[in-house]
Amino acid sequence: MATEKWYPMSSANGDRQPVKLSLPLKYQQELFQELREKDELVILARGLGLLRLLTNLLHAYDAAGNNLILLVGADERENGWIGEALAEHAAISMSPKARGLNVVNTDAMSVGTREKMYALGGIFSVTSRILVVDLLTGLLNPEIITGVVALHADRIVATSLEAFILRIYRQRNKVGFLKALSDNPEPFTTGFAPLSTMMRNLFLKNVSIWPRFQVCVAQSLEGKKRAEVIELEVAMSDSMRDIQNAIMECVEVSIGELKKANSGLEMEEWNLDSALHKQFDVVIRRQLDPVWHRVSWKTKQIVNDLSVLRGMLHTLLTYDAVSFNRHLDTILAAHSPPPGSTRQTQSPWLFLDAAQTIFTTAKRRVYSGNSSKDGAEDAESLRPVLEEQPKWAILAEVLEEIDRDLYFNPILRDDSNGTILIMCTDTAQCRQLREYLQIMHVHLKRDEDYGEEGEHDASAAFMMRKKLRDYLKWKKEFAKISVALFKENQAALDSATATRGPPNQSLRGKAPTNKRRRVRGGGNTGTGSSRASNGSILASEDRPMEVATLMSEIQPTEEEAAQKEDVVADPLDDMEDYFQLYDMQDLVVVHAYDGDMDEHVLEEVKPRYIIMYEPDTSFVRRVEVYRSSHNDRNVRVYFLYYGGSVEEQRYLSSVRREKDAFTRLIKEKSTMSVVMTLDAHGVEDPQEAFLRTINTRIAGGGRLAATAEPPRVVVDVREFGSSLPSLLHGRSMVIVPCMLTVGDYILSPNICIERKSIKDLISSFKDGRLYNQTETMFQYYKSPMLLIEFDQNKSFTLEPFADLSGSLASVSANNASSDLQSKLVLLTLAFPKLRIIWSSSPYQTAEIFESLKTQEPEPDPIHAVNVGLDGGQRAEDQTFNRVPQDMLRVVPGVTSKNIKNLIIEIGSLKEVANASVDELEPAVGKESGRQIHRFFNKNVLDDD
Amino acid sequence: QAIASRSTGSSILVSPRQKGNPILTLLRQFAWEYSDIPADYVLGQTTCALFLSLKYHRLHPEYIYNRIKSLAGKYLLRILLVMVDIGNHEDSLKELSKTSLVNNATVILCWSAAEAARYVELYKSYEHASASAIKGVESKSYAEKMVDFVTVPRSINKTDAVTIVSAFGSIKAAVNARPEEIAVISGWGEKKVRRWCSVVDEPFRARK
Repeated sequence: MATEKWYPMSSANGDRQPVKLSLPLKYQQELFQELREKDELVILARGLGLLRLLTNLLHAYDAAGNNLILLVGADERENGWIGEALAEHAAISMSPKARGLNVVNTDAMSVGTREKMYALGGIFSVTSRILVVDLLTGLLNPEIITGVVALHADRIVATSLEAFILRIYRQRNKVGFLKALSDNPEPFTTGFAPLSTMMRNLFLKNVSIWPRFQVCVAQSLEGKKRAEVIELEVAMSDSMRDIQNAIMECVEVSIGELKKANSGLEMEEWNLDSALHKQFDVVIRRQLDPVWHRVSWKTKQIVNDLSVLRGMLHTLLTYDAVSFNRHLDTILAAHSPPPGSTRQTQSPWLFLDAAQTIFTTAKRRVYSGNSSKDGAEDAESLRPVLEEQPKWAILAEVLEEIDRDLYFNPILRDDSNGTILIMCTDTAQCRQLREYLQIMHVHLKRDEDYGEEGEHDASAAFMMRKKLRDYLKWKKEFAKISVALFKENQAALDSATATRGPPNQSLRGKAPTNKRRRVRGGGNTGTGSSRASNGSILASEDRPMEVATLMSEIQPTEEEAAQKEDVVADPLDDMEDYFQLYDMQDLVVVHAYDGDMDEHVLEEVKPRYIIMYEPDTSFVRRVEVYRSSHNDRNVRVYFLYYGGSVEEQRYLSSVRREKDAFTRLIKEKSTMSVVMTLDAHGVEDPQEAFLRTINTRIAGGGRLAATAEPPRVVVDVREFGSSLPSLLHGRSMVIVPCMLTVGDYILSPNICIERKSIKDLISSFKDGRLYNQTETMFQYYKSPMLLIEFDQNKSFTLEPFADLSGSLASVSANNASSDLQSKLVLLTLAFPKLRIIWSSSPYQTAEIFESLKTQEPEPDPIHAVNVGLDGGQRAEDQTFNRVPQDMLRVVPGVTSKNIKNLIIEIGSLKEVANASVDELEPAVGKESGRQIHRFFNKNVLDDD
Repeated sequence: QAIASRSTGSSILVSPRQKGNPILTLLRQFAWEYSDIPADYVLGQTTCALFLSLKYHRLHPEYIYNRIKSLAGKYLLRILLVMVDIGNHEDSLKELSKTSLVNNATVILCWSAAEAARYVELYKSYEHASASAIKGVESKSYAEKMVDFVTVPRSINKTDAVTIVSAFGSIKAAVNARPEEIAVISGWGEKKVRRWCSVVDEPFRARK
């Protein structure tokens, strides 16, 4: 740590304890002081070191000892990071009382252990779902909490768990401190008066806003110690631009289709321009979200397509030509038409000429036919093209320049290592660059004949040839796999088209014949994709002969053979024997952007040169902070981007959006403070206001019995992911979190409620879960109810946009039983006594619960827990991990009956996958066991 | 798959009170006839329905109670087909939820006459249908099931499912793969890899 500061502070019992902090910059120190002094919400620009601020703050409290501090909202990685930083701080300032971070994030920790830990005190990071239960059950008494720090304050909306936690805390504890931090300003600017709403949720009065353009921040970062930045605009190759344009065309058409299908929606903003800038698929998904359960299947598919297309825009820039082509092959295979599909049911973009352009151009970047002039097809053979990414050459140049620089001014006496740090978006990119750097100066013999100057140019020919060899090998296998996987689909489709259309192509897809190419005619450039008889694109096949010539063309040469095989996944078994530490002096480090971890990387690597292979806003800031924090370290930054590409646009718009958000926040803050002084009540004690509004209702309802015993609801602990428990608590009901086997909410000894959001409803109809849940509810309760809960902002209707025209016939016969309405009908016919509650929002649900509970006795939690448990089972054995169970449920052979046994007998999915039939048999029986075994062990490589 | 059994002989019985209800003109699938019945519609041996428009309910809140009373405990399944044709429906719906619990009726909401007619027709056509369509027994091909299985964890999509299984050959191998091996596959970023690996290794039950 460069600059450290002794910060004297007094702890609760009055003795003075020096604490060492690592906040070298002025704005950081100011912010720290401010946070120490008062409760407030801090919104800091991205990349300015929010976590560093947090760890310093926590350390200050940690060193003081004798307290209980909760950290809310940190994710797993942040926990690790904070824990490490706290330990480091404790070691540096040698404070005897510092105990570091206690993380409570799984249910593995028993109730007893947690209770003991809380009693000892210290700093805790607790998963919200667990924390809320502990607070409600009294395991953790809110009154003994010294303070709460909420991370990611932008995610705390009124109905979130974190807001619930803060409310319980503030209700019972008025003196403890409360601080909220966020480095994501955008969410604070959407909606009506968003900042003040947010403040109310957080029970905070003050907000402190720190954008990059704040005076103090700017001064700290723009002193004379600025980093030297060299911007390099790289031009995309022609074929890359063609592909990008073609993808954009596909996007445009898909959006057009969406507009056509959903005319009732507001869609002025959906245009190509916004598509270039934002994460357009996410934006559209969000716009459709309120009506998601009503849109047609086709709309959903198009929205999916948009994600695929956006992914393509990204991979076009990051993957090399061969991998990109391979990626496209997979996309095509995955989108191959399902059985019985017609033109209407397929992704519309696949029918476009532009899609054709994408696939052929991508292929032409890898290899093309030696199109002979006479145009005879048989005369042509394939020849590798292997286009290189334009950035590679630039990267090589930059490295050379750095080399020269190092040579001419060798030792610049400073603290940094001579290391070159290359930053890129993801690990796949890292791997690609690493490979390229290793191999770029290895040349083919042939190239040397061309002349001397060829020797110095870096080239990826080696790497690309190797990749192409792998690709061709892969492709042969993949063709087999996709036949194995999608054979049934193809066969079904073929028979369908055969009966409908001309039968000349009905054998297509069964065997890799070369007929297909002839259909297309005109052998222009190798092979492109051809179209299926219904017009969509079909994966292409090359003629075996051509592939053979291509293979021979790229046979490994001597030099290539000499290169060692690269290690993709090193198990690091014999670490000691094979590895030693490198000297940091002359290393090239390739690293992926990783949020707050980047700060660590900079501090540890101490690079002299940084190459930003892709633009990233927050990393620019981190470099600024890094450079300004260290007087004696020089940094030169090279900044690479493709001109006119999505990448460039995305970078520019992210900078702009953040700036806009901050400007609006500052504006709102200036007007908001007026409101606060005027309306002291609402802000002074928001939780009281909250309760007051509710209490009036109860008083009006004449609930005299309630005064004797507060209304009580038993809630399944798994339900704490939803906002309903929080709202029930807000209506002054006592929430009893329990592990329930039957039902989600127990309102009275008779009333048991199964809550389903629309999404759950659809999926639980599909896998039959709802049927079984209803069945068990009827075994134990007199009045089981199904609660169908719509989201607050979703439209309150089940009606699809598609034209019903009132008759069953208009919905085709095979569709009739698949829509939601008909399933509801079946359910009510099967269970005539099942009551259905329709609720337009969780708020409404809370009211309904209240009215249902009147004149009913209170439920008994102990009874509720024991209901539905088999003899020997205990409540604690009940299951928690939803996702692996959901996966297991999909496996053929697993039924709602035998899944219980499976879960108890066999520990995890991995164990199920590895179990033999004999091992599975005791749990599920022979036939199901065989089915499960077959599902996991079916090998798509050997076609059986 | 439940096959809609058409009980051709019987038709939907409609109470004369329903004369003029737009639903009647939209009933095309089944023949219907007026009949002197306590309910509004009789949709099977044990099934009947009462139709209620929220607009009307707001003006005459006592109407529906009298109608339910007139059913006098007949019929096993008593549908309260409620048409939501007003904006602020919250209070009425809250009250009806309570009523349905007390008076043994099942509330079904609809938002248009066409949808109401569809419900009426559905009840009639499923009169003898079995519940197998909602018991979750579906036959699918291996590929579909495989994709379903792999795509359960959030953020893993169809393309990823195909790549991972084709890279490792079988689901078993994919489940047993090491994170570094999966990370090599195109399209599998760190987040997906981490999620996949943690999910397959996670115990079904939280151990105490």
